Amino acid sequence: MARKILRVNMSSLEARFEDLPEEYKVLGGRALTSTIVSEEVDPTCHPLGIHNKLVFAPGLVTGTEAPTSGRISVGGKSPLTGGIKEANAGTSFGQKLGRMRIPAIIVEGKHDGKDYYLLKVTHDKAEFINANKWVGRGLYDVYKELRKEFGEKVGICATGIGGEMLGAASGVCFNDPEGLPSRYAGRGGLGAVMASKKLKAIIVDETGAPGVEIANEELFRQGIKKLREALGSHDVTKPGGALNSYGTAVLVNIINEAGALPQRNFSYGQDDRAHDVSGEAKADEIKKRGGVRPHFCSPGCVIQCSEVWTKKGGKDPVGVLEYESVWALGPNCSIYNLDDIGELNRACNDLGLDTIEMGDTLAVAMEGGLIEFGDGKGALKLMEEIRKGTPTGRILVNGTAFTGRAFGVTRVPVVKGQSFPAYDPRPIKGIGITYATTPMGADHTSGYCIAPEILGVGGQLDPADPNKVEVSRNLQLATAFLDSSGYCLFVAFAILDIAEGLEGLVESINGIHGTNLTVDDVAKIGKQVIDIERNFNKAAGFTRADDRLPEFFLEEKLPPHNVVFDVPPEDLDKVFED
Amino acid sequence: MAIQVKLFGDLRSKVKEKPIEGALPTRISLDESGIERISDILSKLSIEESEVSHIFVNGIYSGKNKKVRDGDRVGLFPKRMALLYKWYFPVKDDE
Repeated sequence: MARKILRVNMSSLEARFEDLPEEYKVLGGRALTSTIVSEEVDPTCHPLGIHNKLVFAPGLVTGTEAPTSGRISVGGKSPLTGGIKEANAGTSFGQKLGRMRIPAIIVEGKHDGKDYYLLKVTHDKAEFINANKWVGRGLYDVYKELRKEFGEKVGICATGIGGEMLGAASGVCFNDPEGLPSRYAGRGGLGAVMASKKLKAIIVDETGAPGVEIANEELFRQGIKKLREALGSHDVTKPGGALNSYGTAVLVNIINEAGALPQRNFSYGQDDRAHDVSGEAKADEIKKRGGVRPHFCSPGCVIQCSEVWTKKGGKDPVGVLEYESVWALGPNCSIYNLDDIGELNRACNDLGLDTIEMGDTLAVAMEGGLIEFGDGKGALKLMEEIRKGTPTGRILVNGTAFTGRAFGVTRVPVVKGQSFPAYDPRPIKGIGITYATTPMGADHTSGYCIAPEILGVGGQLDPADPNKVEVSRNLQLATAFLDSSGYCLFVAFAILDIAEGLEGLVESINGIHGTNLTVDDVAKIGKQVIDIERNFNKAAGFTRADDRLPEFFLEEKLPPHNVVFDVPPEDLDKVFED
Repeated sequence: MAIQVKLFGDLRSKVKEKPIEGALPTRISLDESGIERISDILSKLSIEESEVSHIFVNGIYSGKNKKVRDGDRVGLFPKRMALLYKWYFPVKDDE
């Protein structure tokens, strides 16, 4: 049985399976969503109109036994940035699609009535079910009901109240192993794109699915063995290592110590109160409360950085509190209380919102005087304004840049309309170059990956004085490749230091798809993806002026290092010389 | 004024005389006499180099030969907190 694309027309409520074009056969994840968006979506279209499309694509190895490979990409034109968007999540949803031999779901058109629909997908059939009873409600309840109705083994994807409001801060939500609405393809407002088409949810049921076809079993096994060994021996990714012990929030104390943890809406980079919301503090609390740590976001992960945070007494599980979420909803708002942060994260998950965008939004709202900095309970009330759909809620749900304008704030940390993640670019200039130049808008995951030395592109770098432009470029290329493979970006830590790991990763792809990729192709494939994305953005009206950081990063010194972002604009333009 | 050292995670158990407070880092103050470099601090605290994943001196990612002086603030992280973003941090070290 050959792989087939599922094309879903929301205007006519028809869904059909199509042959996978030859040229798409070795594309997956981000490479496939960005290629389809660039082929089929007019870059000048309204992101919430009939001409935008929403594309779901599991990675090239997703659905197999390859370790830590349960990623799914979601793409479209972003209502937040106005450019192309790819956001991805770790969830069993993508693994099921892989085994159902569905390399992509393309959602197009727009239902022209008031009703919302749920799409139920099996390996050979797709049906529309009226979804009105799940509209206007929190996703924790909705996910419980969906599991009751469709079974505990299905994969769930949905948009929440924030998406229904067409808010640019909304994400696309997937299930974690317990069925909690906690794994997000969060960034860029794709939840609003989904809701604009009146698609409320997708259920995937893999009953009867044939599984992933593997061209060369022996090569595949050899590849995943090497990769598994690399992941199992590296300090960041091994059992009992940094991610496994503390989750991504291990970074709170580290980045704070580096003076680069943005606090009080990017006004200073270091504060001892950050210790109270560190990965260590969180891991201790989870243990005391009877939550789960470590935990996997999708079966087959050997890193297991995830967790289940709960209220005191182990009640009301939230899901994972990621570093970015803890920072955005915590120190960036001068909130240093894990319970408040956990409840704010719950509110984001429940409403279908991106935690990073909302944390930055709340901080800008605080700077604008809506509530005081540090007011966790007040921040929770603001989240309820969104739920109620009040005018204030409608401002907040549209994200940081929109909220900054509404409340007369000029210290607004966004690039291309998307808010900054948890690393201040003044002391960490390399990441600032990535924020400025990635086609995605300010995004930490865009340059999260393999060292230039490993890739062997752009020459050998002196580690004591790296050319930051080259570091950023090479990291972005390698990331674009990994986002297409289906492997989690966190495998990068192991394949950075262990050459056999990267070799194994490439072999696993070759084993499945019968390809002859080499380690040298990694950067090439990444470049193709980024070129496609940059061309889309150019046609959508982006220029070099959009590859810049907000002015205050160039003018206001960040304590404690008291530095500004001083990478010259010419250097930013060198990252992707066209 | 001395040198202010913060020990994170497992490294806190290296200082027997100070009880570990919840999840907070352990802070100690070291008299600078006999301490020229980070490596001197490590040996004073009986910390093997292989137990440390990264070192910050006044917020600057540093090597074990980095010279330190009175008033400096040093952060030491254990292997279990290996740095996730090391390629963005050029290492400052001394000969």
